[in-house]
Amino acid sequence: MGRWSEDRVASAAPDAASLVAARKLARPGPWSGTGSNGDLVWGKCQGSGKTPYQVSVDTVAPAYRCSCPSRKFPCKHALALLLLWARGETAGEGAETAAFASEWAAKRTERAAARTGRPDARPADPAAQAKRLAERTALMDAGVEDFARWLTDLVRTGLAQVRNQPYSWWDAVAARLVDAQLPGLAEQVRAMASDVHARTDWADHLLLHAGRWWALTKAWPRRERLTQDELADLRAAVGWPTPAADVRNTEALPGPWLVLGAHRSDDGRLQQQRTWLQGPDGTVVVVLDFAARGEAFALPQLAGAVLDTTVARYPGSAPRRAMFTSPVAPKAMAHGLGTGGSIAGALAAESAAVAASPWRGRHPVLLAGVRIGSTGQGWLQDSSGQGLPLVDARLDHLLAVTGGHAVEVFGELEDGRLRPLSVVVDGAVVAA
Amino acid sequence: MTWLAELRAAALVGTGRHPVPQPPPELHVQSPDGISPEESLLGQAALADVATRAARRAVPVQGGQPSAAPLDDAPPAAGDAARLLELLLTQPPVGSELRTRLVADWLRLAAESERRVPHRLLPALFTLAETQPAVRDQLEPAIGTRGRWLQKLQRAQVTEPLPGTAGDREVTGADALEKLTLLRRTDPAAAVERLEAEWDSLGARDRALFLGVLETNLDARDEPLLEKSLDDKARTVRDAAASLLDRLPGSARAARMAARLRPLLSVRGALRRRLEIELPPAPDAAALRDGIPPPPPAGEPDRLRRLDTIIRGAPLDVWTTAAGRDPAYTLALLDGEPRIIQAILATAVLRADREWARALLALRADARLLSCLPAEEQERWLAQHLREGSIQPVALVPLLRGLPTPWGPDLAGAVLELVARKEGGYVAAILAPVLPAALPAEAADECRRLLGRSDDDASRRRVLRDVVQYHSFRQSLTEAFP
Repeated sequence: MGRWSEDRVASAAPDAASLVAARKLARPGPWSGTGSNGDLVWGKCQGSGKTPYQVSVDTVAPAYRCSCPSRKFPCKHALALLLLWARGETAGEGAETAAFASEWAAKRTERAAARTGRPDARPADPAAQAKRLAERTALMDAGVEDFARWLTDLVRTGLAQVRNQPYSWWDAVAARLVDAQLPGLAEQVRAMASDVHARTDWADHLLLHAGRWWALTKAWPRRERLTQDELADLRAAVGWPTPAADVRNTEALPGPWLVLGAHRSDDGRLQQQRTWLQGPDGTVVVVLDFAARGEAFALPQLAGAVLDTTVARYPGSAPRRAMFTSPVAPKAMAHGLGTGGSIAGALAAESAAVAASPWRGRHPVLLAGVRIGSTGQGWLQDSSGQGLPLVDARLDHLLAVTGGHAVEVFGELEDGRLRPLSVVVDGAVVAA
Repeated sequence: MTWLAELRAAALVGTGRHPVPQPPPELHVQSPDGISPEESLLGQAALADVATRAARRAVPVQGGQPSAAPLDDAPPAAGDAARLLELLLTQPPVGSELRTRLVADWLRLAAESERRVPHRLLPALFTLAETQPAVRDQLEPAIGTRGRWLQKLQRAQVTEPLPGTAGDREVTGADALEKLTLLRRTDPAAAVERLEAEWDSLGARDRALFLGVLETNLDARDEPLLEKSLDDKARTVRDAAASLLDRLPGSARAARMAARLRPLLSVRGALRRRLEIELPPAPDAAALRDGIPPPPPAGEPDRLRRLDTIIRGAPLDVWTTAAGRDPAYTLALLDGEPRIIQAILATAVLRADREWARALLALRADARLLSCLPAEEQERWLAQHLREGSIQPVALVPLLRGLPTPWGPDLAGAVLELVARKEGGYVAAILAPVLPAALPAEAADECRRLLGRSDDDASRRRVLRDVVQYHSFRQSLTEAFP
């Protein structure tokens, strides 16, 4: 990895103010112990306090670490250090890596390895890998069988019984699924625990989901016979992650990518950020970011932003999950999101998507010429007079920005309801 | 029963106690042989799941769509102005009282430069206005066409009668009251005409309620209806009419009250002149009609209360005529009659009589009296007394809170002198809510100076800091609007 250009550094700044602050700091005065190697740049910056801030930057898979308390990310110190490095003003390569930087890098490698389940640090050993895979699938097979048994017990005793069960009962089922390396299923079971109490149609909801889970337990043993895309969808449903490194190595799709909309969900344990993107050829992908409570998210992208970046897609059926494979640089704001369809068209597309991938419950749709109705939870009406209920909508906000006029709405179709994410008003895309 | 309903019934009760249905023939699905009822139910649930999701149709729209908002005629506030409002609404950098003032200032400035609130900020603004009357009062006209449209929509949702309840009448009653109140503000004569026209069709409760609306912009034109209401069947209506007539010293009732009061007053004493007041006799039928309380069925009648009623109803010049000179002299003759002075004070306040208010202020530092005077005079009076120290500041400071803001430089200076004194911390504390907006911009420099000296009084420092902060933010607001 070569040196970054100053522009490249500028594109990493979270906002203009940080960059201005960083430029002021990017002089040798406050810095000591700077250095770089192939992956890392490090240095100490004397701030207002007694102890200098320790700054480390991984320039290959960009990541930043600074001991300062700033909530900007990356902070001005990291940016300033990068600017110095870009100008060749840090101590050159070969300098001994500062202890704090190498320690941080080691921790990151360890964490990344734990996350992908494939330690990058160790050279791949095909035999050991096959053994681990066999162990994992054996564990999963047993877990799926166990889950199927639980489902039959569930319908034998009757769904009415489970409504009286405390959360711990569901949590125990979920914990067994996690132990069996099926975290995706575990999440669904935990969500069901609150749904059976929160939803008025809980009985149908639970019945249909039990059906979906049952189908999954039937599909799992037959997975050898599925197509690659079908298998990938099934893996995503049970929560068998595809290593990020594998995805990174696939074809990178060039941009510009238009941000259709973004949503943050918070189920109390884990927060998820979904960013829907559309490529130049109309391909729609979704980038998922996760953060535990209290942790910082990856920077959210503005709805309507046109991003100069490349993405790589996870395996599976469309719309596929994706990851950014190059720095994300917003270069313009779009005036629209493209041509939307009717509500009937969106529901027909959902039908087709269910046929292709029964495990998926969320579909991106762009609706044209819809007006906001304000009764109840709110709903949309298109020009043909057909309606679609909304979910998680800030009705006052939607009414205020649209004024009851027909607009284009992008959102996620889920369970027959639409979660609006962005709206096109007066030639500008705004978050819903 | 449909297949899905049977499936649901079986699932709810459990396959142990309920037979599992067969898949409907239309789906052309054959249940495999030799599977358990549980497996059959789960298999059919899977089928139902896919069928339900693949067969979703758009729902027929229920209820009317709100009609779209007309176009705004004013351009939205942009740039710094929009950013400052967003900052105030979403991440206020100041305390809640300052924030309320600054949002109100923003709305006023926007109205002056004919800009409106950006649409996306309207919901947050309305949420703030719900709890902050100072913001609510400034919403117009800055919220623009879209804001008014949104308000109407929100109001329609609140007053939407619940289906199945007979709340319609209540709604129309409250609605009519609101309309009449609005009309009274803009066209007082039309309001009383409308009330006269509908008078006979109204119930007693509504008559009393609607009569109360006349309190705003009361004048001689309202007298016929009020006079007529003295004969009303309902006591609440008679009382409402009498208390309104108390404010009209030119009315026929006032003349009747004057005729009752005059014989009770006489000037006595050769060296030390004083005004003597006799107690009124038992009321006759005409006096009862005018609202003088009847004697109680048993026990002593409250003659003092009778006198109070007469004083409140009669013109104040009855007193000056009896004394032969101006109000100040008249009050001097009443020295030693605190109850009478109190009744005269209440009457003067009721009629906002400036001459009497001035004379009475010399005896009593009363906020109600002060508010009868023009703003400039109020300020002059307060500044003078704050400096003289003839009246305890404790008694004066509360009066400052009622004054219109911002204050003139003289009063501002006098108040800051008081605040800066060693024991001025409590003055600052009492004035904390009003001081930032009350002190003119020039006074902020003085506050900065005061902040510069060493001061252990944390609450005083906070109040001063608030003033400085308010004015610097206010400065940015003024600069943000072209």
